[in-house]
Amino acid sequence: MNALILSAIWGVVMMFSGIFTKSGAAIRGIAITGLALLLVVNVLDFQGTALVDINTRGMLVYNTFSYMFLNIVFGATLLYFFLSGSDMERVGLHLAEYFALIFFILAGISIVASFQTLLMLFLGIEIISIPLYILTGSDKRNLKSNEAALKYFLMGSFSTGLMLMGIALIYGSKGSFSLETIGAGTGVITPLLGGGMLLLLASMSFKVSAAPFHFWTPDVYDGAPTVFTSFMATIVKVAGFFAFIRLFETSFGSVQAQWQLFAAIITAATLLIGNITAVFQQSVKRMLAYSSIAQAGFMMFALVSLNGKGSEGLIYYAAAYSLATIGVFAVLIKLNDYTFEGFNGLGKSHPLLAATVTICLLSLAGIPATAGFMAKFYMLSAAVENGKVIWLVILGVLCAAISVYYYFRVIQAIYFKDGEPQVAEVSTTFKVVMVLIAVLVVYFGIFPQRLTDFLYMVY
Amino acid sequence: MIQYLLQVTNTHSADSSFWYLPVGVQFIFAIVFVAAMMGLTHFLGPKRKTSDKLETFASGIKTHGDARQPMAIKYFLVAILFVLFDVEVIFFYPYAVNFKSLGWDGFMAVLMFVAFFLAGFIYIIKKGALNWED
Repeated sequence: MNALILSAIWGVVMMFSGIFTKSGAAIRGIAITGLALLLVVNVLDFQGTALVDINTRGMLVYNTFSYMFLNIVFGATLLYFFLSGSDMERVGLHLAEYFALIFFILAGISIVASFQTLLMLFLGIEIISIPLYILTGSDKRNLKSNEAALKYFLMGSFSTGLMLMGIALIYGSKGSFSLETIGAGTGVITPLLGGGMLLLLASMSFKVSAAPFHFWTPDVYDGAPTVFTSFMATIVKVAGFFAFIRLFETSFGSVQAQWQLFAAIITAATLLIGNITAVFQQSVKRMLAYSSIAQAGFMMFALVSLNGKGSEGLIYYAAAYSLATIGVFAVLIKLNDYTFEGFNGLGKSHPLLAATVTICLLSLAGIPATAGFMAKFYMLSAAVENGKVIWLVILGVLCAAISVYYYFRVIQAIYFKDGEPQVAEVSTTFKVVMVLIAVLVVYFGIFPQRLTDFLYMVY
Repeated sequence: MIQYLLQVTNTHSADSSFWYLPVGVQFIFAIVFVAAMMGLTHFLGPKRKTSDKLETFASGIKTHGDARQPMAIKYFLVAILFVLFDVEVIFFYPYAVNFKSLGWDGFMAVLMFVAFFLAGFIYIIKKGALNWED
């Protein structure tokens, strides 16, 4: 709750910071301070020391999962600010506004992590989406960025329309927005409730770019300025998943048998389309867009299996995926050439960057001793525990094998091809944070319980 | 049939899609009406095809130049900001009606609303969105 209030206020603070100072370093400093405060306030809230206590009348309910998820989101954003904050200056003149928009997105994520009524879900999703439309088009003179923003805006508003229609149908059949009330009497699915549920399934699948609602993703991620793609593809995407699972677990958990096959088919399609299309990409940025679809397929396992292990795994997956992808994107931003050839010879010219980005890529591919492996393991074992979708587990393992191909293509370019990569100047902070990310990826890969144990701490 | 339309029998639960039959009927009516009207005008209306009709109509003035030219957005900015603040003022009306019953809590909430509102106003002035002269 406190994180929600602070992030909204800090967004306004960021807006005004742009008026009083033109210095990029000062604005970045204010943003990083704000985010650190946000993290501290959220941890305090987690431990039961709330700074302000507001009665939301059951509209927002924070539990351990929400707090833990928000901690991961704020932590990942903090690393993202340290790594890529200075690159935002190259996008355009309005640095303070970009940070302000990111803080507003974080406010939306705080809502989405704790909503208990469909109304709050809608508000949260919109508060996340609208700043994203602006960030996508923030490179105003670039035609591709404009195209991406318009495409994202039109399709995003359309899917929000679908979501509202779904909410209306559910309200029509249940007479309430509250997730608990909707979940309580749902023994059978009536046509009205079923229609609403399917519309919600479709619109949430759109927000997390699951197939067949993924068509916007490659164009938008490719067209948006790379710094913002990094944020969109990681933190915002996992927030969408958190909302997705929270919604379906509370409201439609009791009728899971009736929609599980739908979710399983969406998952299978997402895995296949994401992985197979990623193989054919020539640009690393576009490959990462498809890779984010493929990883979304794995996160969908939490929805399909809908058990404790799945939710736990989603939190873990959020951390593992965000850390590794932020690392890869941060290095990609520094490169001039976004094709695979752009990485040629990076191992010789920048050994430290090459090593850290390799660890991130290994984690994304799911190689043991990295966080990505344990994340995939959690997801697959959740599905095995559920027991009804073993075919999906087999498909998941096969797709993980396909993904090795395109991640290793980058590693191959880094170490086994000769070339002179053009890399922008890299600060010491950047190197330190990259090493930190690599260490975290390996650490959580070896001791996954260090992260998930927090979920069972009771203060 | 008549019992479906008037919904006189009440054996269906409140959750049933049965109650939405009138909505369905209205949908069908809307589609049939639009299709019929468009079809009728298409078949019955007289057609005189001339090349003039294919040209862009610009209030009788001859068209010139390209539609995609840069133009000042000052007027647009002022107009859109006016709409924004105008809509925000609308929120005061329900508050004014419930002023007494909402008490101090309501007052605090509205005060917060006004504070955000003013912050936005100061922001656009400082950003120079309302400067008419360059």
